[in-house]
Amino acid sequence: MFMHVFTYRLKCLVRNRQTVFWTLFFSLLLATMFCLAFGHLTSEREKFEPIKAAAVDNQAYREDVRFRQVLEHLSQPGDNQILDLVIVGKQEAEKLLEEGAVFGIIAVGGQGGSNPGAVRTQGGQAEAEAETETDVDTDADTDTDTGTGTDTGADTGTDTGTDTITLTVKERGLKQSILKAILDEYVQASRTVASILATNPGAARQLAAELQQRKGYTEQVSFSDAVPDTMLGFFYALIAMACLYSSFWGLRNTVDVQADLSSKGARRSVAPTHKLKVVVADAAAALVVSFAEVLALIAYMGLALKVRFGSQLGYVVLTCLTGCIAGVSLGHFIGTYVRGSEGFKTGIMIGANMAMSFLAGLMWVDIKHIVHLKAPVLAYINPATLIADAFYSLYVFDTHRRFFLNIGLLCLISAVLCTASFLRLRRERYASI
Amino acid sequence: MQVFKVYFKVLRGTAAPLAINLCVFVGLAVLFSSTAPETDPGGFEPVRTPVTVINRDVDGEIARGLVDYLGGVFRLVDYPDDEEKLQDALFHRMVEYVVIIPPGFSDRFLSGQDCAIRKVIVPGSTSSHYVDISIDKFLNTVRLHHMYGRSRNYEASGAELVALAMDDLSVDVPALLKVADGRAGGDPPGHSYYYRYCAYALLAMVTMGVSSIMIAFNRPDLYLRNLCSPIPRRRINIELALGHGVFALGCWGILVALSFVLHGKTLLESGLAGLYALNTLVFALVCTAIGFVVGNFVRSVDAQAGAVNVIALGMSFLGGVFVPQSVMSKPVLTAAKLLPSYWFVRVNDAITEVSAFTPGKLSPVFNGMLVQLAFAAAIFSVALLLSKDRSVSSV
Repeated sequence: MFMHVFTYRLKCLVRNRQTVFWTLFFSLLLATMFCLAFGHLTSEREKFEPIKAAAVDNQAYREDVRFRQVLEHLSQPGDNQILDLVIVGKQEAEKLLEEGAVFGIIAVGGQGGSNPGAVRTQGGQAEAEAETETDVDTDADTDTDTGTGTDTGADTGTDTGTDTITLTVKERGLKQSILKAILDEYVQASRTVASILATNPGAARQLAAELQQRKGYTEQVSFSDAVPDTMLGFFYALIAMACLYSSFWGLRNTVDVQADLSSKGARRSVAPTHKLKVVVADAAAALVVSFAEVLALIAYMGLALKVRFGSQLGYVVLTCLTGCIAGVSLGHFIGTYVRGSEGFKTGIMIGANMAMSFLAGLMWVDIKHIVHLKAPVLAYINPATLIADAFYSLYVFDTHRRFFLNIGLLCLISAVLCTASFLRLRRERYASI
Repeated sequence: MQVFKVYFKVLRGTAAPLAINLCVFVGLAVLFSSTAPETDPGGFEPVRTPVTVINRDVDGEIARGLVDYLGGVFRLVDYPDDEEKLQDALFHRMVEYVVIIPPGFSDRFLSGQDCAIRKVIVPGSTSSHYVDISIDKFLNTVRLHHMYGRSRNYEASGAELVALAMDDLSVDVPALLKVADGRAGGDPPGHSYYYRYCAYALLAMVTMGVSSIMIAFNRPDLYLRNLCSPIPRRRINIELALGHGVFALGCWGILVALSFVLHGKTLLESGLAGLYALNTLVFALVCTAIGFVVGNFVRSVDAQAGAVNVIALGMSFLGGVFVPQSVMSKPVLTAAKLLPSYWFVRVNDAITEVSAFTPGKLSPVFNGMLVQLAFAAAIFSVALLLSKDRSVSSV
């Protein structure tokens, strides 16, 4: 009898085209939209590329041979290229900055930001400005001293020395900050040389050589092979939403089993089949349909959209299955406990699913982590967050502690929802329908 | 006004999903306003990248100096020396660079042995280059002082070397922030984000509400019953349209009122509240038209919910509501021009850029609003035309 109920229930569910659209095609559509809108956004946004900058071609710049050499060195094509420099007149540089073609204007002689609307700042310390100019004076003297017989010898005696290097930017940003850091390093290195030569004048030659060969002190290590792509969070939240949409099938089951909600429910209530058998067979059919849909979604995302899930396929499938069980249980729970028409129940379920998916990061990816930090309890009772976090922990961590915590909590929530629903459904009697 | 009264009775049935949509939006708006960038400091300030330093060389003076220096340049975020927590933080960009100073680093550095700071980063990212520059700069400066700073018979201590390096690194190049037409560049203010997210709230709420009414009034039995009622068809339509208008206006009013609750001060100071509200009102009209279409062509509640969600989330993601248009790829942006949400966001961004009410500044704002009105008119026209055909054929 179980197989009979199960088979016919399966047929009923699969033939409900609107719910099939809602639970399968909507997720596929949304995944495609996500991929189009920001599929590879993280790598494109964060990837380092040589910073476009304009140097003002004026008398002071041409005469500052050492500074020119430094900029040219940083602009050399290759793996270590930091700047993508154009050398143009002042007006052209300002035009490029205005158009957004460059991130900053580098000028020697304080002419970079000569527009009347410029606000002059000094890293937030106004008094430092005068100091810098004095320092650059020192720097110039140093150049003259150290340049003899070294690579910078060409400019010995030709440095104007008294000119200030300025940077003009249009907005605050990482690339602008790097430009400033590079220019800061130039004046800071000059100051270092000056202060060393004040106590050890004999070190000029070695210092000049040292300045040519900056030593790198960092060594990259990684905790795992996972590329920390923030945008994956959107896709994981979408899978969580798709799993929770199994609740539509669960809700359909409860409507079709309650005599006061549908004629089908009335017919089935008087059938001699045990209620538990009917409910379990219905739930199993709903689970089969929703699990197949989520697997189709995973296959589409993994194969067509190239979303990364890590290499542990078995655990990915387990997460989908657990998520679908939680979704079907949720649908049963809402179907039995929310009183009202089917439309009202559907509305409540969509709203609840949206709210849970939102907290899992569907609309704002950072929210999941913020909830984890600020209100961890909310993260532990929200099935959508647990599903998304299970995918996340599979992808990011080498251990499975957090993954199994998520799966365990999902199972617990499903068990509680199922038990509560069945207790409500069993032995239900109607005075009138 | 029987139909008008019934309109709101029917609407009561969708109150719960509408309220949940509003709550999701309010949650989003409050969270965003609490995490929105702070007001512009008034000049150029280098970005303070979030960095976590795990110092395993606690007693080393060079290590301590490096931590102090990084603290002055970047925003140091405290995290325990726990791999899982650090990975979590890096993945969610709570930190963008994890510096791990190995035990005995200072001693090896001062004795001239090979030593390195370990870093956990987003590979190849711009921010990692930025932090690399600072770490190398500090350690190279210390190294130069250590190797050449004093005569050979005087060995400077680590603390002295750090002090010398800190002194050298205290100078910087003047950075000028070019002010364009009275408005300094920088992150948009919080109220700009708020109004951008209004697009999702309006799409979800207005489309859901209007389509629910249309589905109820288009049910075949009710439709035929209304046709033979003594109220003329024209009057029913007018009262329905009035209901749609009042409902859309109500949603718009709630969102605008909420904007003043959350961002009242900055909104009033900017003088742009009227423009933002007007743009949102125009978009509410577009949403009403979309709801009208959905209600006319969808018969069941399930399909309606699907359609509303596809439209609200799809238009929001592709139009640049959740992800800024500035970071979207050109082909997607080109396709997005066919969506009214794209024009809403574009106008919203243009309003944020308005520094003076000059024709040059206002023309993109009003042009964008006109495009949205054209969308609304086109959607309404198509819906009316097709629904007329269908109603005639069904009867």
